[in-house]
Amino acid sequence: MMQSFPLTLRRAFIWLGRLVLGGIFLYAGYAKIVLPTMHPRPPLGVALTFFAMQVDSYQLLPPWGVTFVAHTLPFAEVALGLLLLAGWGLRIWSTLVSLIMAGFFAAVVRSYALGLEINCGCFATPEKLTGITVLRDGLLLALVLLMTVFAFQEARAPHPWTAPQKPEPQTPKSQ
Amino acid sequence: MKLRLILGVMLLVGFAAGTDLGTVGTEAQTKSTLVDVDKAKALGSPNAPVTMEVFSDFQCPACKAYYETVWRRLIDNYVNTGKVYLVHRDFPLPAHAYSRIAANYANAAARIGKYTAVERALFEAQEAWSVSGDVDGTVAKALTPKEMIKVRALVKADALKAGIDKDVERGHLFNVSQTPTTIFHSQGQTFPYGGQVNYDILRQFLDQLIGQR
Repeated sequence: MMQSFPLTLRRAFIWLGRLVLGGIFLYAGYAKIVLPTMHPRPPLGVALTFFAMQVDSYQLLPPWGVTFVAHTLPFAEVALGLLLLAGWGLRIWSTLVSLIMAGFFAAVVRSYALGLEINCGCFATPEKLTGITVLRDGLLLALVLLMTVFAFQEARAPHPWTAPQKPEPQTPKSQ
Repeated sequence: MKLRLILGVMLLVGFAAGTDLGTVGTEAQTKSTLVDVDKAKALGSPNAPVTMEVFSDFQCPACKAYYETVWRRLIDNYVNTGKVYLVHRDFPLPAHAYSRIAANYANAAARIGKYTAVERALFEAQEAWSVSGDVDGTVAKALTPKEMIKVRALVKADALKAGIDKDVERGHLFNVSQTPTTIFHSQGQTFPYGGQVNYDILRQFLDQLIGQR
């Protein structure tokens, strides 16, 4: 027998986080690989090296590091987006997404503080890095951190549908 | 679990199908077509597989750095070898007090075939004339007295404003808000990129663009 309705506030938050972050990561990776607003569509090599220029504009990595990030991050974003949406291994993947988001947020804050006039490079389209970008990434980081904490808490708590039922009090047998 | 995977795949397909919007039709054509190119401010062959339109401001320090670290190597390795057509566009930012004056002098020099020399002089002495405002004196060092008389006459006549305004207008078409901004054109594609770039990273991108032929 079901003990309680399974959708708690914590679970609803995890669902929201998975949908929002999964969708954003999926689209961000896809946009970098495909450049959907470009006509005609450029080949993969062009899209990735174009993204490399945006990574380079942060002035954080040496050229080999820029090339490595530009050629791996878009695919990692697609994979993590799908994994978040699927909900499989949520604690592992949301921890990884938290680390990526924290790193990205640090890079964005640094660039904004230094006054670097660069493009965010978030979705492969020209988008100037502004205070709004910082705020948006900060909110996303908060969302993924909370989702990760909730995912760990949720894993510890027994699921109401699978929780063992409380033994019914036994009525004393009359002799 | 299966349902979740199916939902994920459906979302991916949805993105692939649904995001095929953006620059289409006449706007895309206008952007990919090079218009109003002042040949005196362009380098290389117009038939090169890649065209770079660089929106620049003579008083902007990032433009100076771009000119010094990227521009010269780019000219040697890509422009002079017929791979890139480099077009200079003026985009004097309102925040810079003397950039419009510098653009006037550079455009006047372009009329007498001395653009490259004046461009070099303006970028090399940028720190000095940015403070003193002595654009005229800086340009005079790069030209002969006879050439300087012609340049001054052109600047005085104010006949160059229309050309600079056209460049700025074209910049607005690409939503240029900072300098340097480079618009790469290749195979009908347009790639806008704002800010500086490391030459080695730029080289990789250019090689990919050239290789898609």
